[in-house]
Amino acid sequence: MLDLISIELYKIFKKWRTYIGFIALGVLVPLIHIAMVLEGKNTINFMTRNIQESFVFVGNLLNTYLISYIILTSLAIHIPFLITLVAGDLLAGEATSGTYRLLITRPISRTKLIIVKFIAGWIYTNLLVLWLAFLSLVVGYFIFGTGELLIIDGQMIVIFERTDVLWRFLLAYGFATLGMTAVASLAFLFSSLVENSIGPIISTMAIIIVFVILSAIQVEFFQNIKPYFFTTHIMSWRLFFEDPLDLKEIFKSAANLLAHIVVFFGLTLFIFKKKDILS
Amino acid sequence: MIFILIIILFANIQAQTNDPNEIVKSVITKFSQVNDYEVDIDIKVDVEFLRVPESRAKLFFKQPDKVKLKSEGFALLPKDGIDFSPSSIIKGNYTAIFERKENLNGVQTSVVKIVPINENTNIILSTIWVDDKNSIIRKVESTTKTQGTYTLELFYDNDFKYPLPKQMIFSFNLDKMNLPQTFTNTTPKSSRRRFKDGPVIGKVYVNYSNYKVNKNLSDKIFEEDKD
Repeated sequence: MLDLISIELYKIFKKWRTYIGFIALGVLVPLIHIAMVLEGKNTINFMTRNIQESFVFVGNLLNTYLISYIILTSLAIHIPFLITLVAGDLLAGEATSGTYRLLITRPISRTKLIIVKFIAGWIYTNLLVLWLAFLSLVVGYFIFGTGELLIIDGQMIVIFERTDVLWRFLLAYGFATLGMTAVASLAFLFSSLVENSIGPIISTMAIIIVFVILSAIQVEFFQNIKPYFFTTHIMSWRLFFEDPLDLKEIFKSAANLLAHIVVFFGLTLFIFKKKDILS
Repeated sequence: MIFILIIILFANIQAQTNDPNEIVKSVITKFSQVNDYEVDIDIKVDVEFLRVPESRAKLFFKQPDKVKLKSEGFALLPKDGIDFSPSSIIKGNYTAIFERKENLNGVQTSVVKIVPINENTNIILSTIWVDDKNSIIRKVESTTKTQGTYTLELFYDNDFKYPLPKQMIFSFNLDKMNLPQTFTNTTPKSSRRRFKDGPVIGKVYVNYSNYKVNKNLSDKIFEEDKD
């Protein structure tokens, strides 16, 4: 099994498209860091302008935690796109390159093949989120240092003590991985349906964008079905930045994402086992 | 003997004076024995729209009005409560009106209203409760043009050497704050967390300890940080 996963990972990392996500984050995050070095104080002033009218405060609010939080909010749309680039290619890529038939003739079951490919995709997803965490938190630490985390939560300003933040980030990144795995599973499902990876990438992104738009429309019908969209729960990593933690909501979101992963994976397995390999 | 009686009587008249300007002057004179101080402060914020951890900081003061708050972490103090010196509370030109005598938490005080004459000041009206015996301010209630009303209660040690408090309770009444919609304004409960309409009420508790008074603090301490 480990050998098969290594082979799949080798195939993933042999394609240059795999590195697009890492390069994109490697450019994006430092750009945000540069922008924050230049304009961060104005951002803090903007965020705290109301409390500045009545309060005097000291402390380093422009720190790696705040910047990592801002970057993590980009998970909704941007990081899923980078995930689909690889996950959408996991099965369709074999069809495109004409290696499907060759692969299936090997003495491994289709079930095992799907599991191995899914695990390889999952590892890529984890690595991408880990890379994001490294660039945001670790690189940010050397530029901005640590400090208290300022969050505006609706009508409330919440400031977390610096010693109370890191564990929240670790759990948030963990949860983000779960959300991104759901995205990868959907792209993987579409990948099993077609013979070109462009389709799964575009279809997955289209679904995410449609769900995000529907969630934003303040119509009762859409608001009622919003809790069932997996896109709603992708952003639930933010629940770790509430005090006290709403464990019920966290488990609910995690269960929703896990259910999506299981369903998408199950469908992929079902479709692939029934699939007529003609290429 | 007669001489001593005259002195006691005179001192009593001085202490019991109803002349508001004399009362204010006595407070300022009393505080003038403090040229500068450095103090450790513990701050606890109890405000509906603001969740801030309890913090520890250092506060520096130098006459007439230099104040500096320093902390290794995050610390927050109300602007109107950072400097409790009488010259800060009663600044600019004003008209003082004696209101009444009042027993405030077991302390005999004179209640004086301070009406600023200068139109540029943000304060419309202040009421101060002055401890008759010690010539120190025990309580201040101010109404401002833009920041609503606030109350400052000062508590002292019984045997204080300098007129510096051991605790301050700052209560305020603000109009609802409209917080900016920013990229961190996105937590899932944001839409659920709404406060009732009307002014926001809050309290800030500040405990002062380890006063170092008249140590001739350098002016450099009060310079703006260049970070």
